[in-house]
Amino acid sequence: MKRWMPIVALFVVSALILTACPSPTPEVIEKVVEKVVEVTVEVEKEVIKEVQVGQPIHIVARCKGAPPHEEGRCNNLVSAVGAANAALAAKGDDRRIELEIIQDNADWGDYKTEFELASDAGQAPDIVCSGHEHIGDWGPAGYLVDVTAMLGDYPEFDDVIDALWASTEWNGKRWGVPQDAEARPMFYNKTLLAELGWSAADIASLPDRIMSGEFTWEDMFDTAEEAVKAGVVKEGNGWWHRPKNGGDFLYYYFAAGGEIVGDGDALIFDKEAALKVYEKLFAAVDRGILSDTRLDGDWTGWHTGITNGDVLFAYGGSWNWAEWFTQYVADRGGQDYLWEHFGFAAIPGMANGTGEPTTLTHPLIYMVSSASEHPDLALLLISKATVKELNTDYAIASGHLGILKSQAEYGPYMSAKFLTQVLPLLEVTTFLPNSPHWSAWSNGYYEGIQAAESGFPAEDALDIAVEYMQNELGDDVIIR
Amino acid sequence: MAEAVMGREVIRGQKPPSRWAQLKATLGAWGFMSPAAVLVLIFFFLPVVILFVISLTDLSSSNFSDPLTFVGLNNYVRLFRDRFFPKILGNTFFYVAVTLSCFNVGMALVLALLTTHINRRAGFFFRLIWLLPRITPSVIYILMWRRISHQPPFGLINQLLAPFGVEPQYWLFEQPWLFVIMVNGFVGASFGLILFSSAIEAIPKDLITAAKVDGASTWQSIRDITLPMIRWPLLFVTTYQTLSLLTSFEYILLLTEGGPGLYTTEVWALTAYKRALKTYFGHNQWGYGAAWGFVLVIIGITMSIIYLRVFRFNELVQEPKIDVL
Repeated sequence: MKRWMPIVALFVVSALILTACPSPTPEVIEKVVEKVVEVTVEVEKEVIKEVQVGQPIHIVARCKGAPPHEEGRCNNLVSAVGAANAALAAKGDDRRIELEIIQDNADWGDYKTEFELASDAGQAPDIVCSGHEHIGDWGPAGYLVDVTAMLGDYPEFDDVIDALWASTEWNGKRWGVPQDAEARPMFYNKTLLAELGWSAADIASLPDRIMSGEFTWEDMFDTAEEAVKAGVVKEGNGWWHRPKNGGDFLYYYFAAGGEIVGDGDALIFDKEAALKVYEKLFAAVDRGILSDTRLDGDWTGWHTGITNGDVLFAYGGSWNWAEWFTQYVADRGGQDYLWEHFGFAAIPGMANGTGEPTTLTHPLIYMVSSASEHPDLALLLISKATVKELNTDYAIASGHLGILKSQAEYGPYMSAKFLTQVLPLLEVTTFLPNSPHWSAWSNGYYEGIQAAESGFPAEDALDIAVEYMQNELGDDVIIR
Repeated sequence: MAEAVMGREVIRGQKPPSRWAQLKATLGAWGFMSPAAVLVLIFFFLPVVILFVISLTDLSSSNFSDPLTFVGLNNYVRLFRDRFFPKILGNTFFYVAVTLSCFNVGMALVLALLTTHINRRAGFFFRLIWLLPRITPSVIYILMWRRISHQPPFGLINQLLAPFGVEPQYWLFEQPWLFVIMVNGFVGASFGLILFSSAIEAIPKDLITAAKVDGASTWQSIRDITLPMIRWPLLFVTTYQTLSLLTSFEYILLLTEGGPGLYTTEVWALTAYKRALKTYFGHNQWGYGAAWGFVLVIIGITMSIIYLRVFRFNELVQEPKIDVL
């Protein structure tokens, strides 16, 4: 042991001497050099620095987007930095925005929790782009800036489609600015319908027949069952819905005549409407249209099954179109292949429900964190990203709908065939509620869906959902 | 000559140590123990206390920024009223019992015996292979299993069985428990395998040789010499792996998320995690999830006490069994 002592002592003394040594004073040489500055752009975290003539202000933006097609959510903010700084310079403000973006494709639950924890720790990003329904949680919690009075300072916001502002509201105030919109259509496989004996005219007229109420949800199930029996598709592939919980399931409830928002803060759970939904899902499995393992959480299998032509009808989202042509059928002709083999329409009305076709729009919203020291700069940046050029680029790349009135006359947007054909679905659209109770309501309702598809009779599925909601929400849900 | 008095040795005819000396000895003992005691207090005891305190509140993502509201035992009442509580509890015991007996102890023991009864290098190689599931990152390991058992037209099992005319299936969801137990068991077996192998290797060779000289068969020497000699590692692995399995859920989360359908493969720890931290729309109920977690702590402590009593832990730790022999 002792023989190590001198070595240890020597090491300690050397370390102390090195630590105590002052840094050598650098020799100052004046040189003229040619400097090449390279800006490296990273996908997840990116710092944009511009030549600063004023006081640099660091703004952080957090976005969730599937790469590469949805990355415009934060990338458009990056593109807007120049315009924002020019606007500051024009009005004599010596501040300049230095933007950092953090963008990935985290799960919604994790994404939401991250912002909540960051907000509580006082470290939230200045801008967060998230689902409008989170306003219901974050508004009451004090995590967001009420931008109602500030919006008038930015003329760009006058261009936002009026109907979309409702999705930013809670408690009569506005808590953000719409970033995108979409529709959730029913996709159908034209090739399989033709195999089933549908004429070209029948296939082409399907969207109109759905919009007029002639072709209902029940008709869709009958067609799917016929396709399974005829061997056009395998059992369980007549109709697919998403493979995990999500906003889609709410429009089933709306289609069945359900309401969710009442006069007070409590949400409504309409047992009659929910029962119709559970009966439909139970029947779908029972008739061999839908597999009892459809809720397997596997998105890759879902996309692959549909794009490979194994599925007759599928309830999806307009953004799926972009996912498919960029990732799943790119080697088969991309969009041309999709147009040849697939069609889309509104969700057919439930004959024993409202009878009306429907869809759901889930706008993402740019929100300003109450932890931001510069909410005016954050909003300025958002305003410069809320312009038809940037938003159209994003919409075309991602399969989302435009949010600006001016896009209706903007050439590049109007020449995007898919976007213009999806746009009419907004006539029958619905929204998730901006309520702090939505998450628990959704979980309870989804438990009923899982139960119905697992073979529980619809009445039992309803009991499971009701019990869950009463247990989780107490007085915050009205069961009727 | 000495006699034990209150744990100390007192030499006859000599004065007992002074109070100061006793105090010094006691302080010395506590001093040596204190680093470990502080660590145990901070990292084992305090989290349980915090878990219990949180379980008495309604803390959730919707009231995160408000002051804590204590709701007494409401979360526990909710938990026991949950209609799926018996199913989740049953799933948990089923998962622990089958994985433990078939893989973590059963297969580990069989593999240890096999790999110690073959060529030493070959045995080492096979043990190395069995360590692969443990050292493979969880997500990659599970992705691999999902692809193996995937729905038609995918899935390695489907591809392999197709030439034999077996109808392709979504194997993972047709036999979810089989895969949940196998996936966890292959990882768990390596732990026991290493411990059992070293314990078997540590058995003095002359005992086995003597038995063979006396005409004992391989099975007889395993039954009458090897197994009794590795009783302590067997009991340790059983106890440790029971507690480990009780709290493990990450592979199930990644593999089936507790499905297919409603709570088919959902175990207690997964429910606690989902309630507290993981829902699609981010409805995190930390108070309620903590109640699920605290009940699991109680189950774990109860199981530990039962194991320690049944296996007479005090007797086992009095002296090293293998070295004595």
